[in-house]
Amino acid sequence: MTKEQIFKLIVTHACEVIPRLETHAFTETDSLRELGANSIDRSEIVMMTLEAINLDMPLAQTLKAGNIGELAQLLADRKASLPA
Amino acid sequence: MQTVGIEAMNVYAGTARVDVEELARHRGLDITRFANLLMKEKTVALPYEDPITFGINAAKPLIDALTPQEKDRIEVVITCTESAFDFGKSMSTYFHKLLGLNRNCRLFELKNACYSGIAGLQTAINFVLAGVSPGAKALLIATDISRFMTAEGGEGLTDDWSFFEPSSGAGAVAALVSELPYVFQVDVGASGCYGYEVMDTCRPAPDREAGDADLSLLSYLDCCEKAFMEYQARVEDADLASTFTYLAMHTPFGGMVKGAHRNIMRKIAKARAADIESDFERRVQPSLNFGQRVGNIMGASTLMAIASAIEHGQFDAPQRIGCFSYGSGCCSEFFSGVAGREGQARIHAQGIGDRLDQRHRLSMTEYDEILAGSHVVKFGTRNAVPDPSFIAPARKAHERETLFLKQIKEFHREYEWVS
Repeated sequence: MTKEQIFKLIVTHACEVIPRLETHAFTETDSLRELGANSIDRSEIVMMTLEAINLDMPLAQTLKAGNIGELAQLLADRKASLPA
Repeated sequence: MQTVGIEAMNVYAGTARVDVEELARHRGLDITRFANLLMKEKTVALPYEDPITFGINAAKPLIDALTPQEKDRIEVVITCTESAFDFGKSMSTYFHKLLGLNRNCRLFELKNACYSGIAGLQTAINFVLAGVSPGAKALLIATDISRFMTAEGGEGLTDDWSFFEPSSGAGAVAALVSELPYVFQVDVGASGCYGYEVMDTCRPAPDREAGDADLSLLSYLDCCEKAFMEYQARVEDADLASTFTYLAMHTPFGGMVKGAHRNIMRKIAKARAADIESDFERRVQPSLNFGQRVGNIMGASTLMAIASAIEHGQFDAPQRIGCFSYGSGCCSEFFSGVAGREGQARIHAQGIGDRLDQRHRLSMTEYDEILAGSHVVKFGTRNAVPDPSFIAPARKAHERETLFLKQIKEFHREYEWVS
């Protein structure tokens, strides 16, 4: 699964959790926090994305990502490191 | 196998409360999003209340109900707290004196952030199970207060503290632990722990709380899943969706419990979204009712959730409660126990909900006056006399004898009963 595919999934889930973002033009440098997602919203978006790509990793480790692009990269790298 | 668990239990949540929605408006927070916290009210500790007054007011009815012979069998007093006012002297010594307990008694205090209450419960249970003093009882008092003053934000401290002022409460749970588990019989050996070092939230100074709200939330979610997986590995046929009639979890605020429940139901029970919502209402909501009116009482929070589940659930027949405790830093545990009709009657007889109703409702002006801090007895105070005329109606809120801090004299705390 590519970083771009995961990025799209994060965007889909962000819009699901915070419907007003549906009209937002997402870029990789967007941060969920700056888009108004609080800590519960952010955890929800991350959990939905992990589930969608069938990846099991400690949620706390996803905090290293500073924006949506970095989060997509982090999840893509982790997914790629696991045996298929 | 020997039976063990909670013989009697009571929750005490002070004499004053604020309406959380009113507070949110007062602070200019977004009310629509704020509803996700699932908070209604919270207890505010007044200057003449401290962890001892909360603990004694919770424990006194339990002790008064014992015969002198039964009272003499209290051989351990464990205080579970992160709000102690002395680094050396244990609060158990004050409880022991104010309750007039037998001097042949082990007294100590235990800290592990919000996990302290369950660390204490397990310690008490193992004291009973060890059988070294058959018939002995342990008195467990989990008591915590928050005097809301946050540390200045610095690197590593996030600004998502808007959740914390409306949710940080004050209160205590007292429990007698013995081989007569009338209220809650613990499933012996049915427990899974999960802990590791993490810097999520902490009290780096006696009157200051700090932390990373994101990291704390995610660590809680990770631990809830991992602790349950360990429980499941140790308990044959344990099933998240069907083994427990109720779930009682550490409650920083209801929204966090809802998130954790959703996560484990999705990942472990493979439940669908609509089913998760109805499962939450049925199995989790009863445990939240007290917490929604008191706020986060840290070390006492999981015990209060258990009391709330027993008070608000259906116990015509015995039911198993799955319990999860998380303490920042961190340590967590998933364990279980059984409550029945008698346990519910005994919790109900304490009138916990009535006393929550009786608390004085603070105006925002009164609340801000408390926060301004001029009345607050700071950590390390050598001599002080809290002003009994400050928010005076609160002192009579319960229309029965209530313990308050009278003065601090050369660091020693003196208390008085007011009725």
